[in-house]
Amino acid sequence: MHEQIQKRIESIITNLDQLPSIPDVAGRVINMVNDPELSFKSMADEISKDQAITTNILKLCNSAFFSKGKEITSVDRAIVTLGIKEVKDIVVIAATREVLNKAILGYDLQRGELWTHGLAVAILAKKIALAKNKKAVADVAFTGGIIHDVGKTVLALFVSNTFKEILSTVESKKITFNAAEREVMGYDHQEIGEKVLAKWKFPEVLKAMVRFHHDPALAPKEFLEMVSIVHIANVLCLMGGIGIGADGLYHELSDVAIKALGVTNKELEQFYSDLPVVLKQTKDML
Amino acid sequence: MNSLVNVGVSQVGFAAQPSVLRTILGSCVGICVYDRMKKTGSLAHILLPNNPGDGNPEKYADTAVPLMVQRLIKEGCKKEFMSAKLAGGAAMFKFNSNVALGQIGDRNVEEARKMLEKHGIPVVAEDIGGNAGRVIDFFLEDGRLKVKAGGEEKLYYKV
Ligand SMILES: [Fe+2]
Ligand SMILES: [Fe+2]
Repeated sequence: MHEQIQKRIESIITNLDQLPSIPDVAGRVINMVNDPELSFKSMADEISKDQAITTNILKLCNSAFFSKGKEITSVDRAIVTLGIKEVKDIVVIAATREVLNKAILGYDLQRGELWTHGLAVAILAKKIALAKNKKAVADVAFTGGIIHDVGKTVLALFVSNTFKEILSTVESKKITFNAAEREVMGYDHQEIGEKVLAKWKFPEVLKAMVRFHHDPALAPKEFLEMVSIVHIANVLCLMGGIGIGADGLYHELSDVAIKALGVTNKELEQFYSDLPVVLKQTKDML
Repeated sequence: MNSLVNVGVSQVGFAAQPSVLRTILGSCVGICVYDRMKKTGSLAHILLPNNPGDGNPEKYADTAVPLMVQRLIKEGCKKEFMSAKLAGGAAMFKFNSNVALGQIGDRNVEEARKMLEKHGIPVVAEDIGGNAGRVIDFFLEDGRLKVKAGGEEKLYYKV
């Protein structure tokens, strides 16, 4: 263990200013959608306060993935046409792009690769949720997919200094890459991601999805299904090479997740086989 | 012009010297076929071994190989000058052996080998298996293959 590195990471996560920021509107909107009495108008007002993001949101509303055909020219129309949950996800995409759409050098990801990976995991996670009759939470699966690896943006710098050691720890101790991150640096990208989400004031379910996406077996029972969805979507995208970095496939495909969702071998292969479609939808969104 | 062509998941790329065909692989397999006389080749990024008949020949090893060979012959290449290299087919580090998809990398490699053999194209180099992702660059000027995995680079020159 590198105590020096562990201390530096510790000082970053205890000093909120050093963690990445996103526009406040995202945290507010994401918490709003849980309110059963939420009016379209109050959501539209909230979003419209941030003019910069509004332009971006309208562009995404009219992208091939979200568009319902008719051109959307205002946030009001977006909410009416696409619905509250869909617009919430669009807000999250617009708000997190700057933080996620950059090169993550320690993990050997070129600019855009982590961003594409997150969107692809989001789209596949939503597909899995729908296939497993979880329509009511398909939007949460999508949000979790976008941000699941946000911790990598903070940890990358330290991973580039310790990569060889992490990889040799994987091999000598037969542990997954993220477990080796913890061995070598004291923290893994899941824990850091959870801290980032706490700063953004994202809800517990999303924090759990980020915190346990490689370790569903450790997730609190109440969030196990959601964690499992993002876990499987992530593994399948990595197997398809989408956003695969220096950590490669040194991860686990968890049986706990497969069982929690009741995914059969056939379904798993079908989701994997859907990757070209998922990737096409991802590119339509970029 | 040494142009770089990115080949996406379940796509087949074709190019001649001095171009470079690139793809990024997990459990998928990159099948590189090269005609050393014409200095022309093809790179398939296949996702699965066998085509169930879904109209996506480029996605599967068993239909991508004949497609590559046909197209190369159309470009004036000859089977007798062709050779192949394989890369990819990695597996998750940990998975339950009951999960069939866990073996998909190996199955992809096997099917690719089988199809190449069927077409009489020798496989002259392989960089397969393990748990690392791979970025591969296939240089049409001499058919060499560069494989970047786990922070290290390897070169395969044999054609
Ligand atoms: Fe991750
Ligand atoms: Fe990921």
